[in-house]
Amino acid sequence: MAYGQAPPALQLLETRGAGCHNAQNKQSGLDLTRRETAVRGGDRGPGIVPGKSKESLLYLAVAHLAKPNMPKFAAKLSDAEIATVASWIDQGAPWGETLVSKAAAVVPNHWAFVPPVRATPPRPGNPIDAFLSVAREQRKLAAMPSADRRTLLRRVYLDLLGVPPTVEDSESFLKDTSANAYEKLVDRLLADQRYGERWGRHWMDIWRYSDWYGYRNGNDVRNSHKFVWRWRDWIVESLNRDKPYDRMITEMLAGDEVAPGDPDTLRATGFLARNYSKYDRDGWMQDAVDHTTLAFLGVTVKCARCHDHKYDPISQDEYYKFRAFFEPYEVRVDRVQGKTDIDKDGLTRIYDAALDRPTYLLIRGNIQTPDKSNSLLPAVPAHLGPALGKIAPVSLPLSDYYPDHREFVAIDLLAEAKGAVTKAEAELEKQKEAYAKVEKELAEGTVKSGYAKMRGAADGLELATKALKAAQAAVPALEARIAADRAKYAEPADKRFEELAAIARTKEREAGILKGDENLLRAQVELTAALVPEKKDEKKITEAKKKLAAATAALEQPATGYTPVGKEYLTKSTGRRKALAEWITSRQNPLTARVAVNHIWLRHFGQALVPTVFDFGRNGKAPVQPELLDYLATELVRTGWSMKGLHRLILTSRAYQMRSTAGEAQHPNAKIDPENLYLWRMNPRRLEAEAVRDSTLAVAGQLDRTMGGPELDTAKGFESHRRSLYFSHSPDAQMEFLKVFDGPNPTECYQRDESVVPQQALAMANSELSRQMAETLAKRLEGPQFTQRAFLAILGRPPSAKEKALAESFLEKSTARNLVHALLNHNDFVTIR
Amino acid sequence: MQRRQFLAKTGMGFTGLALSSMLSAQKPVNPKAKRVIWLFMIGGVSHMESFDPKPELNKYAGKLLGDTPHAGALESPLVKQNLRELIVGLHKAQPRLYPLQVGYQKRGQSGIEVSDWFPHVGGCVDDLAVVRSLWTTDNNHGAQMQFHTGRHVLEGQLPTIGSWVHYGLGSLNENLPQFVVLGEPIDTCCGGPGAHGAGYLGPQHGGVRIDVKPENPLAYAKPFMEPEEQRKQFELIRDFNRLAEIEYPDDRALKARIQSYELAFRMQTAVPEVMRFNTENEATRKLYGLDQEVTKPFGETLLAARRLAESGVRFIQVFHGNNGGAGKWDAHSNLKKTHGELCAQVDQPIAGLLKDLKQRGMLDDTIVVFATEFGRTPGAEGTNGRDHHPYGFSAWLAGGGIKGGTVHGATDEIGFHAVENRHYVTDLHATVLHQLGLDPRKLEVPGHKRIDLDFGEPIEEIIG
Repeated sequence: MAYGQAPPALQLLETRGAGCHNAQNKQSGLDLTRRETAVRGGDRGPGIVPGKSKESLLYLAVAHLAKPNMPKFAAKLSDAEIATVASWIDQGAPWGETLVSKAAAVVPNHWAFVPPVRATPPRPGNPIDAFLSVAREQRKLAAMPSADRRTLLRRVYLDLLGVPPTVEDSESFLKDTSANAYEKLVDRLLADQRYGERWGRHWMDIWRYSDWYGYRNGNDVRNSHKFVWRWRDWIVESLNRDKPYDRMITEMLAGDEVAPGDPDTLRATGFLARNYSKYDRDGWMQDAVDHTTLAFLGVTVKCARCHDHKYDPISQDEYYKFRAFFEPYEVRVDRVQGKTDIDKDGLTRIYDAALDRPTYLLIRGNIQTPDKSNSLLPAVPAHLGPALGKIAPVSLPLSDYYPDHREFVAIDLLAEAKGAVTKAEAELEKQKEAYAKVEKELAEGTVKSGYAKMRGAADGLELATKALKAAQAAVPALEARIAADRAKYAEPADKRFEELAAIARTKEREAGILKGDENLLRAQVELTAALVPEKKDEKKITEAKKKLAAATAALEQPATGYTPVGKEYLTKSTGRRKALAEWITSRQNPLTARVAVNHIWLRHFGQALVPTVFDFGRNGKAPVQPELLDYLATELVRTGWSMKGLHRLILTSRAYQMRSTAGEAQHPNAKIDPENLYLWRMNPRRLEAEAVRDSTLAVAGQLDRTMGGPELDTAKGFESHRRSLYFSHSPDAQMEFLKVFDGPNPTECYQRDESVVPQQALAMANSELSRQMAETLAKRLEGPQFTQRAFLAILGRPPSAKEKALAESFLEKSTARNLVHALLNHNDFVTIR
Repeated sequence: MQRRQFLAKTGMGFTGLALSSMLSAQKPVNPKAKRVIWLFMIGGVSHMESFDPKPELNKYAGKLLGDTPHAGALESPLVKQNLRELIVGLHKAQPRLYPLQVGYQKRGQSGIEVSDWFPHVGGCVDDLAVVRSLWTTDNNHGAQMQFHTGRHVLEGQLPTIGSWVHYGLGSLNENLPQFVVLGEPIDTCCGGPGAHGAGYLGPQHGGVRIDVKPENPLAYAKPFMEPEEQRKQFELIRDFNRLAEIEYPDDRALKARIQSYELAFRMQTAVPEVMRFNTENEATRKLYGLDQEVTKPFGETLLAARRLAESGVRFIQVFHGNNGGAGKWDAHSNLKKTHGELCAQVDQPIAGLLKDLKQRGMLDDTIVVFATEFGRTPGAEGTNGRDHHPYGFSAWLAGGGIKGGTVHGATDEIGFHAVENRHYVTDLHATVLHQLGLDPRKLEVPGHKRIDLDFGEPIEEIIG
């Protein structure tokens, strides 16, 4: 029902009230466009008390029976109209189910909320050049010629791999005189594994990668999560495999729903696991909403947490409905092969832990005031794209809802249990020897306080004996539990389950008693060892006694169950996030492809097509080249969301290969287009922090190419020569060297800063890294034509005559290391020309 | 530009003086001040509870604005004239008047009223020129950056007042950056580094952040070679880069990098020296409140500011109140508690700074500015807060030829609109520049048009 067919009272609300009281313009906090908000009212209290017009502020205000008299800036309603309002309220203020939000309906068609339209490129050839050349000609901008081959080679290497070419790389490229040498180079680099590391770091910015933080010493994970590095590795691998971008989004948001039980895919859900917050579930949910929309849709919704969004058509209701997609999810760690202790290693992943957990709108965003009258179901903002598809619950396989049922878990646990037996046996041998030694010493009379020694040795022996028994008993107990588990989950049902469960229970208890026995003795021994009374640990001994008593008592009870090997989770997932991912990656979504294209473009050209990369909304800036943006966005989708395809299209354009300078400060182009909006030249760019460090290592031949694995200690940033993206990165831990070069803020970084500050000069001049690399490289370069080779190795080009002269006269008064070090400090070392 | 190219080509530019400041620096005309310490409280300090008492708020406390004699404020054309929102209504005028949350006293010889949350600063009131009639256009925290650039956040990151000073004036000390930022700057929500950036002037004119950590103010400040050896090496780096500059004359980052190396070389020794407080005596430490936990952090920051000023830094921009968002001063609720606590953190250190400058004879040529992005609503937000208020708010200046013990401009009786001697934020910029001997209208870069609003007008009435 639209307003037109609404009850007369609603028509009055629309024409006489909603102008000042709607989702966009909420005078006195009142929104009359929806029943729930009209009833809730605003700053002056509830607006409508359904069934009671005389108690409803709405009626009292329009009847001028209470201040403020309404409508404020217009004539009073007629008596008939006032009566209509009164009787409508008395009837319970009926409202149409599908009443369109007035606020959202009045939002004009903002460019970014309308799907991209693919324009035909105005000229043949690379479509990027077609669009740009027309734009340049219209403005009488002369395009710069192509950069020389060495400059171009270095540009592409740094851009795609994050490290400069080696001398050999340069030579082989320069030797290749074929017409398509450059295209071959691009293809070769796109196939290089280092591409995933370089661009993985870019996407880690956008997807807000952070390792866990909290209290590292106390092992207290407060934010993000342990082992989230597996998600980083997934990013690198996915990029290298050119996994379609839509699939990447889907796996990150709903890997557990589209590929349940597949550990490789589940890694992707680190994207949402990263929002984990131990003490702030609300903040966690906020981050999930805010950063999903920022990363994939380029819109900032967080204002709508407290009130309807003022710039974009996102109501407060819609904000919380969006949150409902995430409401059920939590984070857990599943075992990975070869690792039994999930505190030490495991697969961090998300899963739906509570299918019906309600989502409430928080009035004014205040966690203390949830609107519990209405539990919100997941929905997408009506004006941000197509309709949401159906949300269908997903049935999970056994390997997902009971992950410890997987074969390797039993194998690993048994190996561990058997390993414990071997260890216990060795310990017993040791204790036997110790006992024999003391016995011998006693016999020979070579020791003092023989009794105490003897007793200590006897205790050690007994303890080791008991420990071995306990360890031995643990193996059949575990085997029995595994067997019972297998029977329990067998398809079809295994009739022996009851029987196996009883056995498991018995064996488990036998093992439990022996363990309790061991623990009791251990406590006693410890107590005995602590001769000083204040060191007594009565607690431990009581504990051990308790365990023993409990185990003994349990054995006497009828067998009804056993401890399963692992934890069982829900067998279903809501399918909410899967539906969300489908909506985001829908071809009809106007934002997703544009936002991705814009991020990629930014990182190739140093300037984005939409300058506000994180805000495509009405508060953001419009694209300078809308046709080009839309062409590329539709092209990304058309090519199956292939990022490598888009890179190739960009890199093989003339625009990308242009020289980065006009050769003069006052080129006519600079007057017409000082910001280079129409890309009449390439923009020189400063290397990102990671590329500065990695390149410094690389030119010295010291970069460790090992890929993946747990995050490394930032304090070892100069000792370890691994690539920078593998170092711990969180609000609590960032390598100082990287910070100085505008390293990414782990909480939010959609675009890097490119500052030039003296601290960077200090880092390159005085850090241990540049000292070491300069020394190493100077040694490697020893020999004839030192200057020439140093320039080639570090800057990828030979020195000019003047540079050579400078360098050589420097060498007369200083050292080779210092020359190499100076070249590492050359502006062009940290610049993509 | 031709001069610059010439210098670059002939190698005449490097004389220990930063190249671009040689080229852009004006000769100050009749300067009264040499340097600026610019204190910025992030989030929006309530003018009514600091420097602009409004007893009418107590009188009509709890009343709807529309039911008081001051109802006209809401209908005033100034509302629309000032405000620049894309869509109206995000931050409202808040109709129910909220009483003053703190008392006031007449202070000093001048008898200017200052709230009881600023007893120490109040003690210095005879040195202050309080401007009670500022206005800005953004009613959200983009106003933080706007306060420094003079432009609404929608117009992008433009040069800030500090960067103009840096651009316009030569250096007082070749060993230190001339534009230093202390404290945690405003958050990315509200302009981030844009509030101490240099926009199109280029990054070399932006503020350099320094930590107030005497043991380690700057990372990597210890060379691993002998000074003479390093000097030769830095000369080589400079020479290489200047050859590159001939090839890439339109690369502004390259120019900035050349300068950054010059500065870095000298900063290695100069910055740790400035941050070493061991030469400060007990009385000075107490003056800044270093002996108390509440005042120590900001006290150390301001002591560092004084030492930087003393060492010849031109513009010292000090931030207080970053909370990873809109700012700690953003008192949408609990104003009494939060403002009370924040004032306690800054009051004594600021007074300490003023007294210290004075006793060293530095207040004569150092301008101290105390500012915030906007005021707060006369009406209550919720039960105990105040909302954003761009229509009228306060700041004060001291030293550097500013007329102390003055009040300039006024808001209406409830603190809603600046009604008397209204000043947009760039009038403060113009005042500061004027005292430094700079004419803002001469500070212009080809290709970047400035408008009247950017330049502002010096506030003559507070100039001594």
